[in-house]
Amino acid sequence: MIEISGLAKTFPARGKDAPVDALKDVNLTINDGEFLTILGPSGCGKTTLLRMIAGLIPWDEGEITIDGRPIVGPGPERAMVFQSFALMPWSTILDNVAFGLELRGVSKAKRHARAAELIDLVGLTGFEGRLPGELSGGMQQRVGLARALAVDPQILLMDEPFGALDEQTRRLLQEELLQIWELSRKTVIFITHSMEEAVLLGDRVALMGPRPGRIVDITDVPLPRPRASAVDAIEGSEEFAKITANLWRQLREMQMFRRHAAEGRHSSSEPAA
Amino acid sequence: MSVTTVKVARRHPPRLPGRQLASNAAPTVIALAGGIVLWEVVAQAWNVIFFPPFSAVVVRLVELTLDGKILESLVGSLTNLMIGFTISVVFGVGIGMLMGAYRKVEMALDVYVYAMLTAPSLVFAPIFFAIFGLGRASILGVVIMYAIFFIIINTTAAIRTVPVGLIEMGRSYCATERQLFFKVILPAALPMIFAGLRLGMGRAVKGTINGEMFISAVGLGAVVISAGRRFDAAAVLAVLLVIIIVALVGVKAIQLIDARMTSWLPSTARAAKARRAGDRV
Repeated sequence: MIEISGLAKTFPARGKDAPVDALKDVNLTINDGEFLTILGPSGCGKTTLLRMIAGLIPWDEGEITIDGRPIVGPGPERAMVFQSFALMPWSTILDNVAFGLELRGVSKAKRHARAAELIDLVGLTGFEGRLPGELSGGMQQRVGLARALAVDPQILLMDEPFGALDEQTRRLLQEELLQIWELSRKTVIFITHSMEEAVLLGDRVALMGPRPGRIVDITDVPLPRPRASAVDAIEGSEEFAKITANLWRQLREMQMFRRHAAEGRHSSSEPAA
Repeated sequence: MSVTTVKVARRHPPRLPGRQLASNAAPTVIALAGGIVLWEVVAQAWNVIFFPPFSAVVVRLVELTLDGKILESLVGSLTNLMIGFTISVVFGVGIGMLMGAYRKVEMALDVYVYAMLTAPSLVFAPIFFAIFGLGRASILGVVIMYAIFFIIINTTAAIRTVPVGLIEMGRSYCATERQLFFKVILPAALPMIFAGLRLGMGRAVKGTINGEMFISAVGLGAVVISAGRRFDAAAVLAVLLVIIIVALVGVKAIQLIDARMTSWLPSTARAAKARRAGDRV
């Protein structure tokens, strides 16, 4: 279980810019085996939050614990999938997938065998000897996912993993991710700015708002699982439409409020925090 | 535990080295031939004493080669070049990496590196001469002054421009500082480091000849000086041709090492080797 309590971070003032409250009083509990999606407009601090959970950046106040142990840095129980894929262009697909294991000192034969299994799982068998630059974006992100799964993490941290892909590829990968996840049921924290993606994938959707970055609302997604084989039916369902519409209403309010604030008007329609 | 055999897929169709080389070389050959013809025509038409035509220079080059003078000097110059360049690479890459990795080291050394980069390197020759005398050490000093700062600057920039995303990826997978450097930063920086080595090689050749011309009576530089005193312009240009060839060969050698190491680095070379081994079985 991941518990985030009273998390806050302020970026100091830079030149003429005032200090920015990147995150303020963030409280969130993520259960084991849960698929949590974090939805929010750009600049709301959702990626900052994820990088803190990954142990990559420090925060000012509050605490993050995993099964009661506070996070002090990156750990072997967490693995991350990046929006920019972050593959090593000089390494073959096989070596990229095996990278996490290589860092842990796993022997070459063992880590390559394990990497080959995951390459098979993400449907890239036959591409082991290729370089990342020879693969399409969708294939590269499959490699990124395989690399994360190769270290068999308890928690998968996904930072807008499909954000850089075209719509068709994105939909295919959403289905594949659901398939893989429904087999392994790892804890997943998935950042996105797409409402449909957040609802389709998540057990719950945490909605974040900007300035200060905070959790505005948490929505349960009571859509049945497994979803991988029923994506079209789910997206056509009334429930799906209802949840998405509700999220959109809140997102729109946020944007409206932001515009009012930017124009220097006092607005009374601030969304409830 | 069962061990899965991994089949490594073929990456590229095999190239045809001969044909490709020929088509790549064609523009260069045409340009060189054009240059030589232009040289010959202009020099013949002009007919001034210090600008002999290409044919005369080639005749002189053959003469100098036959009496062993060129070969003897060439060995001396190449020795200076190789020692000086090696020292420049070792220290240049080392210092450049420290400057790239540690902001404070860069802040401390930056001003020196840029000062030396813009200063005409030959002004240091008299200082080396005063300290080391007429020997090889003085020439090496000049070679290093010519080459090392370009290597330092490129290495610093290479380390600096490693994509932040890759470093963050390494950290998120719990890389130690050492692993991060050797498995992520260094391979990512290598292409740009090699660009610096290519520049450095050209500069080192220049430094060798200038050092030899200025300081001592050995090597190709000395041949140039003595020919100049005899107003033997053909000999001066003949040696110049040799020097240019040395520089081009040196740069080409660096390029070949570069192509092997960054095409792309090291697992690919290994994969290619494994594939070739596999093909034979």
